[in-house]
Amino acid sequence: MSDGSAKLEAFRKEVRTWLRENLPKGWGTPEYKDPERFSTEAHELGKLWQKKLYDAGYAGFGYPKEYGGVERPPEEIAVIREELLRHGSPFGPLSLGLLMAAPTIMAHGEEWQKERFIPKILSGEESWCELFSEPNAGSDVANIQTTAVKEGDEWVVNGQKIWTSMWEFSDWGILAARSDPNAPRHHNLTCFIVDCKSPGYTKLPLKQMTGTSEFGEEYFDNVRIPDKNRLGEVNKGWGVILAGLMAERSGGGAFWGGMGGGRSATGGAARGIGMLSVKAIIDLAKETHHYGRAVWDDPVFRQKIANLAIEVEAMRYSGLRMVAKMRKGIMPTNEASIVKNFQAEMRRRQGDMVMEIIGAYSQLMRDSKRAIDGGEWVYQMMRARGATIEMGTSEINRNIIAERVLGLPR
Amino acid sequence: MEFGLTEEQEMLKTSAREFLEKESNRNHIRTMMEDEIGYSPELWKKMAGLGWVGLIFPGEYGGGEMGFRDLTVLCEEMGRALLPSPFVSTVILSGMPLLFAGTDKQKQEFLPEVAQGKQILTLAILEEDGDFWPGSIKTRAEKRGSEYILNGTKLFVWDAKAADYLLCAARTKHSSDPEDGITLFLLDAKEWGVYISPLNNLDLLRRQYEVVLSNVPVPAENIVGELNNGWAILKKMSLYATVALCAEMIGCGDKVLETTVSYAKERIAFGVPIGSFQTIKHKCADMLSGLEYARSLMEWAALALDDDDPDAPLAVSMAKASCGDVCKMVCDEGVQIHGGIGYTWDHDMHLYFKRVRASDTAFGDGNYHRELIARYIE
Repeated sequence: MSDGSAKLEAFRKEVRTWLRENLPKGWGTPEYKDPERFSTEAHELGKLWQKKLYDAGYAGFGYPKEYGGVERPPEEIAVIREELLRHGSPFGPLSLGLLMAAPTIMAHGEEWQKERFIPKILSGEESWCELFSEPNAGSDVANIQTTAVKEGDEWVVNGQKIWTSMWEFSDWGILAARSDPNAPRHHNLTCFIVDCKSPGYTKLPLKQMTGTSEFGEEYFDNVRIPDKNRLGEVNKGWGVILAGLMAERSGGGAFWGGMGGGRSATGGAARGIGMLSVKAIIDLAKETHHYGRAVWDDPVFRQKIANLAIEVEAMRYSGLRMVAKMRKGIMPTNEASIVKNFQAEMRRRQGDMVMEIIGAYSQLMRDSKRAIDGGEWVYQMMRARGATIEMGTSEINRNIIAERVLGLPR
Repeated sequence: MEFGLTEEQEMLKTSAREFLEKESNRNHIRTMMEDEIGYSPELWKKMAGLGWVGLIFPGEYGGGEMGFRDLTVLCEEMGRALLPSPFVSTVILSGMPLLFAGTDKQKQEFLPEVAQGKQILTLAILEEDGDFWPGSIKTRAEKRGSEYILNGTKLFVWDAKAADYLLCAARTKHSSDPEDGITLFLLDAKEWGVYISPLNNLDLLRRQYEVVLSNVPVPAENIVGELNNGWAILKKMSLYATVALCAEMIGCGDKVLETTVSYAKERIAFGVPIGSFQTIKHKCADMLSGLEYARSLMEWAALALDDDDPDAPLAVSMAKASCGDVCKMVCDEGVQIHGGIGYTWDHDMHLYFKRVRASDTAFGDGNYHRELIARYIE
């Protein structure tokens, strides 16, 4: 063993010991009970976990020191990610702050905004949401109708936003609004950093087909935002929106590809994607019998499960290829759409396959005493329907791949 | 594991692309489609001169001592150019078993000649069921003095008319274990009793043959590896061959996508380029995405083989299932998006279509490899 790899193994031991000492009591055992999905408790657990990771120097990578960034050799970062994945640790990054807000502020924010907001995103102290989508501006996000009118040193905002993740717990949001009623499309929007406790800001839950309210909607009734909270130039919001969406797509893809952590931001026992979940599906197929035969002995299912395993590994190694490119200074941009679509469509295929495995039990959700694994698989199957719609529908992402990567005409 | 290309591999790729665009151009390919032997000896000499044929052989046998991942870079370019040549047959299917298991004398006798382009080899393995597995080997080899006498029929033998020697698997012992009792023989393709006839297979740029062996005498010193233990050598070689074919398929798929996208930008229908229609865009997006993920698995498999990673067989099966499925889809859509012109003999689209289908079948298709994966991961 070389000196370098011996040092790295010692570091791995250090991370493992730290994890054992700091994970919630009973973590990883059948006795451990996850807090309810999207509950305050789940959110608090996520925040606390991010803070612990950050304080230990195990999070906050990729940002300059002056904004709270943590510096570490890439090999050590890889070890940390692997160990977090192996232990299925609570997903700390609180989704949108790290995935979307921090990279967008880094790219478009003023100095004071970077200094004020990024450290608290990295440490998990403040949560963020993205306020782009509207009832009539989903795939056609440039069609935003919410207005922002300048009055002195402030902007007055009126309108409605929808499909907001982290709607309930966010401290701050990145808002896009129409700032010029007469300017042409893509030149009429401005972005702002909005305090979610502002007077006139009303948030409401939106109940989805899963029965949960992961997303919410917000009403803006003369919400006043100081001009210094403007993110980017006036009427140049379209570029800010694109940067935000791209960061979210690539980050989301990477997370689901297994680079983030084993559990969802909101504390659900996400048996999401990753070789771990292939293992869980195989176990399920071995335990489940149909017509007197274990599902795992059915060649049709063996083919399908093997195919899922292939897709999971394809994601993993595509991630490594992307890292190798970045090391050579090639930054992936629109390729994020490839990753996003692949993970979302894979989640749907995985969900459907598990429903075929459990047969009649695919009808039972968490409230049923007969539900398999607390209805988690059924929930994931339905949640995957959202995956191919959020962060750009599969169709919009295919347009992006075709037009911006392959150069086909608009 | 280092994904992507090293500087050296970039150079190999660039020079191979330039060379093949010039040498394996449309004229050459169309000529070779009509050629009974199926390759150009002159071009083969040039390839040997560039060091391609001996690329992975040790220096003592006149080789370039490069790794397998380096070789896949070359295979990808050959696939892209549809190069008609006995390269895979000679270097991988037969060269690698010699390298793994040949005696010093055999290596000294064959490998330098091969590296210099003076000798062409191929593998005669498949029999009636067309599957790569030990149970299908029925060809018999019976000992008579210092010789073995071979009788049997080999099918789907690549490049047999071009080959000087055939590496042939035959049964030397009956055993309840089908892997036990298979021996590899290196036999002169011009020997009495070797009857080679074309199978008229779809892929005219990689011709396949039936090889009938009727009382063919082979000296015992031409056994490669141990008596009765030949299957393990073939199994090991098949991992490399499978990944080489994956790299070729990726090369084919990339070229098909490129050709198709540029056609979609130029072809006007209803007054606009067909590439402006979403239905065409979405197909092209799926072709690119599929190729990206298939390529990642191919690179993983090649690197795992170079590293002697114990997971290499899993990586190889995953790469093969993925590259086969994806590249078949890419060729299907390539033909479809080209419309009528893509369905003609004159357009190159069908050549890629046929090559990919041939490679998909070789060394097990997707269904076969998914079953291997299921056994591996359970």
